[in-house]
Amino acid sequence: MGDIEDTHFETGDSGASATFPMQCSALRKNGFVMLKGRPCKIVEMSTSKTGKHGHAKVHLVGIDIFNGKKYEDICPSTHNMDVPHVKREDYQLTDISDDGYLTLMADNGDLREDLKIPDGDLGTQLRSDFDSGKELLCTVLKSCGEECVIAVKANTALDK
Amino acid sequence: MDNSAIQTLEAAAQVLMAPPNLVSSEQRHQAESVFLEFRSTKNPYQLCREILEKSNTDCVLFEGASLIKTALIREWNLLSADDISSLREYLLLYLLRREVPPYLKEKLLQTIAVIVKRGSINDGGRDRKALLEELEKIILSSPISQQKLACSLILSIMQEYAITVKSADVGLIWEIHFKLKKTFEGQDLKRIFRFTVGVLEQIVRSGHQPEGEQASLTKQLLTIVETVLCWNHVSPLLSKRLIGAFEAIYESDTAPALRLSLNWRDTIMQPELIALFFEIHMYVRNNPDLLNSSLTCLVQLASLSGVVVSASNLKQQYLENYVNSFVRILGFIQPSEREMLGISQIYRRLVQFFTATMIASTPPAFLQYLTTYTCHCIRGSVIEEGVNDDTVWRESLNKFLHTWSSLVHDADGFPNATLMSPCIEIFNTYLQCRLAPPDGTRGTEGSDGCNDDIKDDMEEDERQLHSNILLTIGAIARKAPAHCCHVLHTLLTDRSKRLESQLQLMHMGKMQNMNGGEQLVTLFEDLHWILMITGHFLALDCTEGETVIIPSELVEYSVAQNANVDASLRYLVGETTTTENVDDILKLVGEILRISSYECAALEAGLASVFSPELSATLSWLLKIWANAYLVLQPPQCSEVLEAAFGRGSRGVSWVVSLAARRAAATLRHLAAQPPAARHALALLATLAHPQHRENPLASCSEFLALVVWEMHGSNLPGDLRRELHRVFAIAATYAEGDERNRLLSSTVTLQHKLMNIINMESDTEPVRNMLADTLDCFIGVTEGVLEVGSIDEQFTLLMGALDKIPGIIFRYHNYPGVVLPALNLLAKSAKRMLHSVQLQNVTKFLEVCNATFEVYMRWNSGKISSIPQDAEEEAYEDICALMEVISSVSRCGAGCGAEAAWGAACARGLRLLLPLVTPPLLALPTLAARAYRMLRDLDQADQIINLPIEDFNMVITALRVGLTAVSCDVSTLCCDTIVGIANTVRSLGDDNAYAISLLSLAELLLMLIIKMEIPPDSIPAAGAAIYALTCVKPALLEGLARQLIEAYAVNDPANVPRLEESFRVLTNGVLFDGLRTHKLRFQDNFDKFLASVHGFLIVK
Repeated sequence: MGDIEDTHFETGDSGASATFPMQCSALRKNGFVMLKGRPCKIVEMSTSKTGKHGHAKVHLVGIDIFNGKKYEDICPSTHNMDVPHVKREDYQLTDISDDGYLTLMADNGDLREDLKIPDGDLGTQLRSDFDSGKELLCTVLKSCGEECVIAVKANTALDK
Repeated sequence: MDNSAIQTLEAAAQVLMAPPNLVSSEQRHQAESVFLEFRSTKNPYQLCREILEKSNTDCVLFEGASLIKTALIREWNLLSADDISSLREYLLLYLLRREVPPYLKEKLLQTIAVIVKRGSINDGGRDRKALLEELEKIILSSPISQQKLACSLILSIMQEYAITVKSADVGLIWEIHFKLKKTFEGQDLKRIFRFTVGVLEQIVRSGHQPEGEQASLTKQLLTIVETVLCWNHVSPLLSKRLIGAFEAIYESDTAPALRLSLNWRDTIMQPELIALFFEIHMYVRNNPDLLNSSLTCLVQLASLSGVVVSASNLKQQYLENYVNSFVRILGFIQPSEREMLGISQIYRRLVQFFTATMIASTPPAFLQYLTTYTCHCIRGSVIEEGVNDDTVWRESLNKFLHTWSSLVHDADGFPNATLMSPCIEIFNTYLQCRLAPPDGTRGTEGSDGCNDDIKDDMEEDERQLHSNILLTIGAIARKAPAHCCHVLHTLLTDRSKRLESQLQLMHMGKMQNMNGGEQLVTLFEDLHWILMITGHFLALDCTEGETVIIPSELVEYSVAQNANVDASLRYLVGETTTTENVDDILKLVGEILRISSYECAALEAGLASVFSPELSATLSWLLKIWANAYLVLQPPQCSEVLEAAFGRGSRGVSWVVSLAARRAAATLRHLAAQPPAARHALALLATLAHPQHRENPLASCSEFLALVVWEMHGSNLPGDLRRELHRVFAIAATYAEGDERNRLLSSTVTLQHKLMNIINMESDTEPVRNMLADTLDCFIGVTEGVLEVGSIDEQFTLLMGALDKIPGIIFRYHNYPGVVLPALNLLAKSAKRMLHSVQLQNVTKFLEVCNATFEVYMRWNSGKISSIPQDAEEEAYEDICALMEVISSVSRCGAGCGAEAAWGAACARGLRLLLPLVTPPLLALPTLAARAYRMLRDLDQADQIINLPIEDFNMVITALRVGLTAVSCDVSTLCCDTIVGIANTVRSLGDDNAYAISLLSLAELLLMLIIKMEIPPDSIPAAGAAIYALTCVKPALLEGLARQLIEAYAVNDPANVPRLEESFRVLTNGVLFDGLRTHKLRFQDNFDKFLASVHGFLIVK
């Protein structure tokens, strides 16, 4: 990964690039990688080779970080793979609009109202917790131009 | 009336057996309840007889037969002797009279066997003797179907007596089982053996071929003999646990040795007996069904030991007799695969159970056949590898090689001169099988395995996979060092020349990839095998840390050669290629180093993509095991040449070390993406850095220091390799001094700077986070390296600089599991590996870090709900495992260090925060459950659980409740152990204390689990101890529970109330609940009796 002083990093936010290349052998479990064009978290990595004296290939299994779908790919260990820039930020939930949009407040006080309430169990839980008056902290995942709430927790940070 | 009962049962059976679309679930339930009720029928013998006579429904017949057995066990004490014996007679007649399906026959035979066994408690085996006489008569004179039945019954009876510890025949305590077994052994086993062998003799001599009915009778008879010969003659002096272990062996594939008592001498020492068994084998060997049994008998007879042959002349006589018959039949047969396995076992056992001197005095044919068959199996197993999943040849080969291993290592055995030529034959055969034509035969019969797709993680490491066999081949080769050195050196020189020229052609671009590729693979594979064999010839492949020296045969050989020191050294370092007057061992080493430098040059010249990673791994492995043995201080009688080349401070050592370091560095730079190559290169470096090489030249080796600098400037290696590399640096640093040490430590200092830089960086992007995770991983390497060689405060202080940052890192990156996990792991590894050996002030600091980490982690993770639950669970699983490791390690280190209060507080705090995170779905994962309960036990042993506030203590009790009902034996045992520990501490607080009340709430559950046999059998002793410990807290506890249970029975099953009362009286008989050892042990004894009696009548399976 090069020395830190002389490396210039693209930031995911600048819009310059949603991904950056990384040598396949340097990927790690629990890290991120693009599989079949989708940003994934690596849940399994194994190596194989063609013939006893052949060179290693890496077999990757990942799950889509947005919807949990499973993807697989195989790649020579010396080649590069694309790694998505991933951001997970916490927002305080201040309101839910009638049409299902969330009002979220960032750490610096900025408000945003462009995210919908998530689908499935998480959405149901979020709404009922909010209705019962809990202070909620939403984790928003952003990668490859997509964005959504992926986790919710009662905001205990507030009372500290 | 009976008829109607049978009809009801048959109707119910019909419903049960009907396809699902024809009956409703209600009907099915009803039918089930009919059978459940039937199973608990009291005094059912008449009814069952009617069923056996009249019913035609399989299911009903089976249920009836089963009921007879369970009822007999349950009601044994209530039945009269006449009833029992008439029942037994009836059952035997029933079986003799008609053709019965196998499942029913099995059940009924078992029932008769149980009657025989239980009956022999009172009559001392009189009845059994009469029955055996009856059966012998049947075997001698009745139709063949009845003969077979009689044999089956004898087998069932033997089976019933064979097992004592895990006997399913409940209702008897183990001591009685064991006594019965011993009496049976003394009275009837030999008689059964002699009788059966006699019958077999008649059959063999009759001249009829073993076919059809005759074959299946022979099979039965052979099985009886086999069972006698495999019988477990356990000494009564052993403890129950040991006997249990022996009986477990009995049930496994390898039978125990044939250890016989004195009264067998007249039978077993008869010369005709052994000859007869070989004759029997010749008679049955073409029938695959019978072959195994006759082979097992021969194998068992080859392991005769014990008092029966205590005099060595008797033993010698027996062996001569055996070997003569054995060698005679080997002259007649061409062994099949199966037979070969038996023969290999016979050899193995003979060499194992008879002294080396006796074996050495066997006729020459004994060793000749051994050699021929070993070579045969080598060829067979190599072919087998490429063809299918069968392992018969490999198993036989393993057995033969075990035999050789004993032969070549035993100084009292065959003289070297006798072994030399067989050893050369085996060595040559193995080598030929592994080499491609024209030198060998690899790939001529089926595939050579070089072109198949191989899954790396599935297969074992190639060097590991063959190490067992190669270890012995190496030992065999050292018996003929001159021959083997010569052959190996010739092959190595030839292949290294070819490698050099091929690589040169490649480099100049003159070789087409297609054609050259195939040639190259053949060359790689040849080299791979020659190097593996050479490695095992030169040194022993031992695990790291063991001190190995140069094998004595090679030292002797080197001394005997008396080669020229200067010429040898010049050849070693490649200054000359003349081999005149050069020591043979140095010739081999020199050639290996030459190949290694070709590889190095090829990698540096950009040929990494054509060089074989597997061969690179083998080279690193070879240098590693070689360095392990040759670079340590040698004993004084080492040869002059070896001393000059690799002795203390010699020119050779630093030269070799720098060469090895250079090639390891080249591998890491160019083959980092090839896991086996990189892994073995690092293992080589770790061996070179290891403390057993005093005055370690590695620390001052410029190639190695260049590696340090390379890594400091960003080596681009994958994270796991960097971690390992830092481990090597840390080991080397601990052993270096002055400037060298500082230079090595600078790798850790740089890591620290890197960490600070990342933390202080504004930008938070994926590459930055990856780098952070890598850096944390490198620190784990440092932790591991420091510990391996005894930790030092200086390095710990450096580490503390990183550990200090963990809470902050988790705070900032809490949303990124890829960062959180390595951070937690670093904490866990540091706690586990170095905490116990640093100074107190550092410890206090460390505990603060732990506390802060727990707090931050909980703050962001408790009560979190995620959109992808499975994924969140997986993440939580790994985090929690790491956190539990921290708590466990802290609790273990805390005892007796002077600051117990601080440790205790840290543990309690950690546990309090952790408990809510361990959700039921997580606890359902067996590995997590095992770890969680081990942590609780550790905490309990450190007296921490009792320090928890009562709410948290209750949570622990709830967790124990869940753990007790888990089906895993490990978890149940851990829970019981923890209960014992807590109970012992709580006892001093009095039984009305809140902690005590909470703890005692487990007692009822535990007792019910034990009585209903819902706790795994192996956890029963631990559960008994837990009941005792709990009762010690509150002596009235057990009595109360007993009363409760008895009252419950009084309603449903009044007849059993007196028996239950009696059982509880037995349980507490003579026991004081004072926690002292004597009473604890007495309680355990009573507890066994209690279980035997309670399970005898309460359980209706």
